[in-house]
Amino acid sequence: MDKDFTPTIIGFLCNWCSYTGADLAGTARMHIPPSIRIIRVMCSGRIDPLFVLRTYLKGADGVMMMGCHPGDCHYQKGNYSTRRRYVMLDTILKTLGLDEKRIGLWWVSASEAPRYEKVTNEFTESIKKMGPNPVFKEIFI
Amino acid sequence: MNSTGKEKKEKTATGKILSVEGDLRKTIKGLLKKLLKNNTLDAVLVPMKAPETESYAWVLLEDETLLDAADPLPPVMTVQGGRALDSITKQGDVYLKIGALMRPCEIRAAVELYKLNQVKLEHIHLISIDCPGALPLKEYMDNPIKSKENFEKIVQKGDKNEALRPVCQICQHFSLLSSPSTEETKASSSPDTENHSAADLHIGFFGGNGKKLCLTASTSKGKDLLEKLELSQDDSLEYWKAAGEKIRQSALKNRESFNKEWQEKIGGIENFTTALDACINCHNCMRVCPVCYCQQCYFDSKILENSPETYLQRAQERGSLRFPLDTLLFHLGRMSHMVLSCVSCGACEDACPMSVPVSQIFSMVGDQTQKSFQYVPGTDRNVPLPLQSFLKDEFCEVEIPCECDQSLLGKA
Repeated sequence: MDKDFTPTIIGFLCNWCSYTGADLAGTARMHIPPSIRIIRVMCSGRIDPLFVLRTYLKGADGVMMMGCHPGDCHYQKGNYSTRRRYVMLDTILKTLGLDEKRIGLWWVSASEAPRYEKVTNEFTESIKKMGPNPVFKEIFI
Repeated sequence: MNSTGKEKKEKTATGKILSVEGDLRKTIKGLLKKLLKNNTLDAVLVPMKAPETESYAWVLLEDETLLDAADPLPPVMTVQGGRALDSITKQGDVYLKIGALMRPCEIRAAVELYKLNQVKLEHIHLISIDCPGALPLKEYMDNPIKSKENFEKIVQKGDKNEALRPVCQICQHFSLLSSPSTEETKASSSPDTENHSAADLHIGFFGGNGKKLCLTASTSKGKDLLEKLELSQDDSLEYWKAAGEKIRQSALKNRESFNKEWQEKIGGIENFTTALDACINCHNCMRVCPVCYCQQCYFDSKILENSPETYLQRAQERGSLRFPLDTLLFHLGRMSHMVLSCVSCGACEDACPMSVPVSQIFSMVGDQTQKSFQYVPGTDRNVPLPLQSFLKDEFCEVEIPCECDQSLLGKA
């Protein structure tokens, strides 16, 4: 395994919880891995499965979806929809034998900076173990 | 409350029997004629063979004398019935009573479209019919006469022959009499018993040996039709259900081995791209799909167009780049859009000029995905689409656990 491999991880973070949580982690000078690139969405319910598929097929090594804890959504029920969409996406990828472990869903609230730090580090580690996304090598996609 | 529920159940467990006089198709057409004649229906939507060629199309008939040319059991599915119905009611509800005689998968597609607000069913009477399956369109067009002979044998025997399309061989919803959904759907406990079935009226002939038809109504609209038909002979459904159940069990077995086979065949990114290698990005599968209803498809939009520099950069990153682009994204994306409503009708594969096994892939993925939501598409009008509803306490296991959960809990 390539030890210097720094994965490219795209994170879709909800504006009200996870993004603020990530912001707090930054202000508190916590260690956030350089592998994660954050895309802010107003609600995790805005994350179309297609966004995730597109990033995955373009060769991102991992995709993180983050939102408010169930019941805490700023728009009442956005994250419940996210959860269902995630289940659907996960089942599709699992059935097709594509690396469903490269895509994950976490609930991180605005005050959970330590959790954000832990989650991003853990996910980066697990992606490092998996190696680069094999999709990137496929020409006929 | 309980006793009324029981009574209702017993009531639905009987059907009307009609003996076939001469030809099966003629008898079915006779029923429609009667409904048109006594003005129960204003028009019927039925498949009809094109006068000069061997192709089939949907026709909306108001004149009962023209019904003679119709064919209620076409050997192929040229246009999905759900799509035909969609085009009729696209601009709003019809105020004429239309009876649509369609295969169960077409009815189910129509119900899915109804849930998506694309079809108005208020004045439409959905009449389903036991489906012997359909032949692959290409093979049929190559040799229509022989294929028709073959199909007649299948109709008479009622078994899932290997000449049929692969998705027809594994279909479990060929008859609404023995459909697995009626017992399994969760909403059966809901107080509103109306609309729990996909079709209003079902015409069954599996188990009748070509001599008898069995008609059952599951909604008040269907009961109305049945009344106007003035059929006298009642029969319990047990025997008819058993006949369908036998076919369903063998189809279920086929389905299991089918899922396994395809999962092995296309599992992994390499195998999956190989399976879709032949795709020429014509998007026919999307255009004929009954549940792909979007007026403007995301994959036809300009969102996916990029500047030449971007393509060059992408080619540089990967080494080379195939055009047309985004084949996998199209199929995976389409899957994420409609697979929960996929009724496995096989229209996509019939339309594919390159014989990519799209319907088989979608059917396999659809079966697994629908199972994770315990959802059977198009069987119950009152069960909402999985992505349009949610429960607060479900799928709690999907969130990936984190070590810090424990420590945080400890602190609190």
